Amino acid sequence: MNFSSKLIEGAVQAFATLPGIGRKTALRLVLHLVNKPVEVSEQFAEAILSMRQNIKSCDVCGNLADEPVCGICSDTRRDQGLVCVVESIRDVMAIEDTLQFRGLYHVLGGVISPLEGIGPNDLNIDALVRRAESGSIRELIMAISPTIEGETTIFYLSKLLRGKPVQISTIARGVAFGGELEYADELTLGRSIVTRIPYKMQED
Amino acid sequence: MFLNRLLLTQFKNYAFQDISLSPGFNCLFGHNGMGKTNLLDAVYFLCMTKSHFGLPDSSVIQWESEFMRLEGHFILQGKAEKIVAKVAPKKVKTLERQGVPYERLSDHIGLLPIVFIAPDDTELLTEGSETRRRFMDNTLSQLNPVYLRELLLYNRILLQRNALLRQMAESHKKNTALLDVYSEQLIKPGQYVFEQRKAFAAQFSEIFLDFYRIISNQAESAGIRYQSALSDHALDWLLRQNLDKDLALQRTSAGIHRDDLECLIEGMPVKKFASQGQRKSYLIALKLAQYELLRTSKGVSPILLLDDLFDKLDPQRTAQLLELLGGESFGQIFITDTQAARVSTLLPSLSKSYRLFEVQKGGIQLIAESPSN
Ligand SMILES: [Zn+2]
Repeated sequence: MNFSSKLIEGAVQAFATLPGIGRKTALRLVLHLVNKPVEVSEQFAEAILSMRQNIKSCDVCGNLADEPVCGICSDTRRDQGLVCVVESIRDVMAIEDTLQFRGLYHVLGGVISPLEGIGPNDLNIDALVRRAESGSIRELIMAISPTIEGETTIFYLSKLLRGKPVQISTIARGVAFGGELEYADELTLGRSIVTRIPYKMQED
Repeated sequence: MFLNRLLLTQFKNYAFQDISLSPGFNCLFGHNGMGKTNLLDAVYFLCMTKSHFGLPDSSVIQWESEFMRLEGHFILQGKAEKIVAKVAPKKVKTLERQGVPYERLSDHIGLLPIVFIAPDDTELLTEGSETRRRFMDNTLSQLNPVYLRELLLYNRILLQRNALLRQMAESHKKNTALLDVYSEQLIKPGQYVFEQRKAFAAQFSEIFLDFYRIISNQAESAGIRYQSALSDHALDWLLRQNLDKDLALQRTSAGIHRDDLECLIEGMPVKKFASQGQRKSYLIALKLAQYELLRTSKGVSPILLLDDLFDKLDPQRTAQLLELLGGESFGQIFITDTQAARVSTLLPSLSKSYRLFEVQKGGIQLIAESPSN
């Protein structure tokens, strides 16, 4: 595509860096903005910029937050003693959508996989241990995808947390959550959290 | 069990091919490089979800084509089974059974048992232990789906453990807790694979000896022996015992990934002490024993692929082997040969039906078939 305007070209290029947006779609979005009053673009840019500059990672759970502590962690109506451990922020959203869980979360930011250069230190694990040590948590639910790396992560965490005053459970295995938690249908996912089972560590 | 009809689209050197096959012998004649072996590989692909030659999936697609597709119409215990394999670059390889894609390709292994005898099989006797572990794994995976799952699990955890050992050496930071987790995770699948291989070797070596006696016509004694560090110590013990060594070597030094299946003649390794002829007999006996074990355990005759087998066999042994293969315990057989006369003159005297094909530059033509077809 050849543009008569460098300005248009710059904007198209910027849009096209977004996932799922090709140059054709990018051009459509840019032309749309061109045809709208300048205020629309201003609001659009302002929303993005202010989001990016001000978005935080919750000090407690690692979820996205506007304040140092996220809306979920600071909601006193939620069960503060029950924490669901997940891989990603998108897992939090998937579980929230089920409306079946009224506890808190802990976002690890991935699973342990030395092959991909991800060790325990690259994940939000120390904060989890501190939360567990504080005594305010009764139960940790490991809602981590049932891959080999997921199993390793759960096993590692449960060893780390041994002797701490928390109970560890996992969401039921046989549950078909087709690989990634975020793709699980809401009903099954919700039910699997309700019917979670105590985690049994392998003999050591 | 047999393959009734095979359709190839842009597979290796075939643009498009649709062939009807005999439930007995299917002989493919033609010069080298015309695509005889590729056709066998297509059959193998439909049964094992990948090329026999360990090629990456992208390289089974015809040169400059966008995708490849294989469609096999099998008859399994009287029932039609349509299997379709599709490979395209940057897309997930799919395998469909009766129009339904498998969620995991490994679930397909074992449905259609198959044995491939190829010229480069001599590696089994001359190369390192990996080739013989692959031979055991190939057989056991077709026999027992749990075996393949446990093996894949073991291999994945092993990769992670080795990656961790490397990182620990590079960063000079020890994470013994995570290393312990991997060690413990290896134990269950490792012990399982060991037990299965041990039982396999015991059963297999007896069948092998029977075939070796028939094929070699010789009095020397042959033997198969399974070698594993787990025979003497549990994997748990081995991993703990070798911890310092593993840290120094930056890899896991003991486990089922070091097993071997020793091949002996007169108590000596075949690799060092056998003649060419003895090796050939040994190999054929190994593969036919694999065939027989699959057949008796699964209750169906596997498909047998013989690539260029008769090339280095004298006429008497060719006749003898064909007679054996024409027997009741063998089902559908694919044979490739550069010379049509060698096999085709012998087939009419056998009771099995047959079809003869000529393979020319990626084109296959039926040239003759048994009257019963
Ligand atoms: Zn939070």
